[in-house]
Amino acid sequence: MFLFDWIQAHPYQTVGLILPIAIPLILFQVLPLLVLLERRGAAFIQDRVGPSRAYIPIPGTGLRIRAFGMLYNMTDLVKLLFKENFVPPFAFKSFYWLAPAIPVATGLLTPALLPWFAPIAYQDGSAIGVLPGTLITTSSGLLLLFALGSLSVYGVVLGSWSSNSKFSLLGGMRASAMMISYEVSMGLSVLGMLLIVGSFDLTQIVDWQGHHTWGMFVQPVGFLLFLVSMFAECNRNPFDVAEGESEIVGGFHTEYAGVKFMMFMTGEYLHVLVASALLATLYAGGYELLPFPMPMFVDTGVGTSEVVWQWLDTYWIKAHLGGVLAVMLGMTGLLLIGFAWLIAGRRANYARQKAQDRDLRMREYALYTGAFSVLGIGMILGAIMSGLFLHTEPISRAGALAAYSVPIYPGWVDAVTAVIQFHVVIGKTMLFAWLFIWVRWTLPRFRYDQIMGLGWKVMLNIALVNLLITAIVAKAIGGGR
Amino acid sequence: MAKVVPRPDHLSFWERIYFVEIFKGLATTLGHARKSLLDADHFKVINYPEVQPDLPRDYRARHRLMKRPDGSPRCVACFMCSTACPARCINIVAEESPDHHIEKRPAKFEIDLLLCVFCGFCVEACPCDAIRMDTRQAVLAGDNRRDFVIDRTKLMDWEPKDYPLEDTQSQKAPGGALHDQAMEAFKSGTYH
Ligand code: SF4
Ligand code: SF4
Repeated sequence: MFLFDWIQAHPYQTVGLILPIAIPLILFQVLPLLVLLERRGAAFIQDRVGPSRAYIPIPGTGLRIRAFGMLYNMTDLVKLLFKENFVPPFAFKSFYWLAPAIPVATGLLTPALLPWFAPIAYQDGSAIGVLPGTLITTSSGLLLLFALGSLSVYGVVLGSWSSNSKFSLLGGMRASAMMISYEVSMGLSVLGMLLIVGSFDLTQIVDWQGHHTWGMFVQPVGFLLFLVSMFAECNRNPFDVAEGESEIVGGFHTEYAGVKFMMFMTGEYLHVLVASALLATLYAGGYELLPFPMPMFVDTGVGTSEVVWQWLDTYWIKAHLGGVLAVMLGMTGLLLIGFAWLIAGRRANYARQKAQDRDLRMREYALYTGAFSVLGIGMILGAIMSGLFLHTEPISRAGALAAYSVPIYPGWVDAVTAVIQFHVVIGKTMLFAWLFIWVRWTLPRFRYDQIMGLGWKVMLNIALVNLLITAIVAKAIGGGR
Repeated sequence: MAKVVPRPDHLSFWERIYFVEIFKGLATTLGHARKSLLDADHFKVINYPEVQPDLPRDYRARHRLMKRPDGSPRCVACFMCSTACPARCINIVAEESPDHHIEKRPAKFEIDLLLCVFCGFCVEACPCDAIRMDTRQAVLAGDNRRDFVIDRTKLMDWEPKDYPLEDTQSQKAPGGALHDQAMEAFKSGTYH
């Protein structure tokens, strides 16, 4: 088999070919998690229980698996798929059909430009090959990202205009004006970061953060401005004038139903995800582990040791993979056990109520508690094992390859490191996504003139001053690049 | 009592730059989220269909007709309730009672629960404590509109054991704790 032989001979290239399909698919798996976070998070903030009823019965056992409300994604999907595909007779058909696809398309394209793991150097015959952490490798990644991101306004504008309804048009006009205004301060606020790093390449920006400190500590003002602009870009509270449901029904998607409505919703959540990932990449160190170096004791001879401040960068991770894996697995295991403890609390609470289905729920809660504690304990055992027994050595090289200074590791080390880094990015992304949700359920909507005033009179000025100061400081310290 | 929140005359500098106030708000909501996540007792809701609410007795729920010790309705078909009813949902047809002390009794007593506004005026109007709304049946479901028109049989379909002992009127009905006593009085003509 030719294909099989090729795959065996070129494992890294094969992974490089699979990634463009795998990463959007993985992101689609994160999406339901985000929706769950939004729903239960909103409920918890408002002292409610939140959606928790949809269940799958397990035949034979009488058990009902509710999966913490996760199944609502499925039921919603089924509901929206089978709804009548209604098109209002007064709509402008072609744009009406096109509009919902635009946010989803841009939302799926932008992750291609974000670095999900550090570039991997590998031995390719007699040369060194590099598997980049982004799907599209370009030195102007950030520009392309903003170009794609600003395209999403077309979804809103086309959708609202082609619906031919006043409410839609109002929502679309508000949204387009707002998104375009905030794009100005967004671009200006991120420029400070670019000036300091001296590159448009997102991988380099992350790499710089891994050896200096995270962007949010270098550029706190720029970070805040960028965060606020991202809220506006995503049409999220307090900037959700596009669909101010208390004022203009549903805003730009008033006339949409069924799958087309679902596409708009998917686009919105994809945008939150991408915006969070972008925030994590630009200002929270992307796949880098820590914003500061760790003190390490290095032996300098007999009985003496010296403290070295070591950045936990990719090469350090690869050299100490066992330890890093142990910390990651241990933390996940503790989180899982904590979750099992929470479920046990819910179980005790439910036992105290006079419920008709008490036994059923008791068994279900017991199942969750058992499964999560077993998983957590397994993770902690795995952490101990990897901490004790996992040691990694670079491949020794001879001849022409020895001239390269980068250490090359066996494939599995690269794979585990990439997976760890991917999880770090996703973890930071989820934290920012929670920030989006948290803010949404805290703040009221701004009035439209307040939004415009804030955007043009306040944020633009702060962004300009910040840029000026950053430019002077960067020139004075970095000597200018 | 409505709580009057005074409007501030002017916002201070820190309030005007939003950020401090925003963080205060975020802290509040995070506190609620934390409590809801960690403490299941924190929720002020009940798991409704599985856990039924504990309604108080004076909650105005579905009606019932009170019974005499012999099981006949206490209602004397005086039409007070249907006159008082603002929704005009009580439909009574009177007939002559065999008991000459009473004169009349309802041949038909229907309440259309879909029209009823559960105001309780009928209970207040009744001179003989014959109609009450203390069944605690707040959730009424049916397949068609006819199901919501409840008649005499349905209105009198209740058991004294479901009502507290202090409720002497209910306990005098057949099967109640005070039934034997009441029946004697009924037979000797001193019951009212
Ligand atoms: S509760 Fe009010 S509306 Fe209902 S039957 Fe009685 S008087 Fe009529
Ligand atoms: S007011 Fe009382 S006694 Fe008179 S008709 Fe109504 S239920 Fe019967």
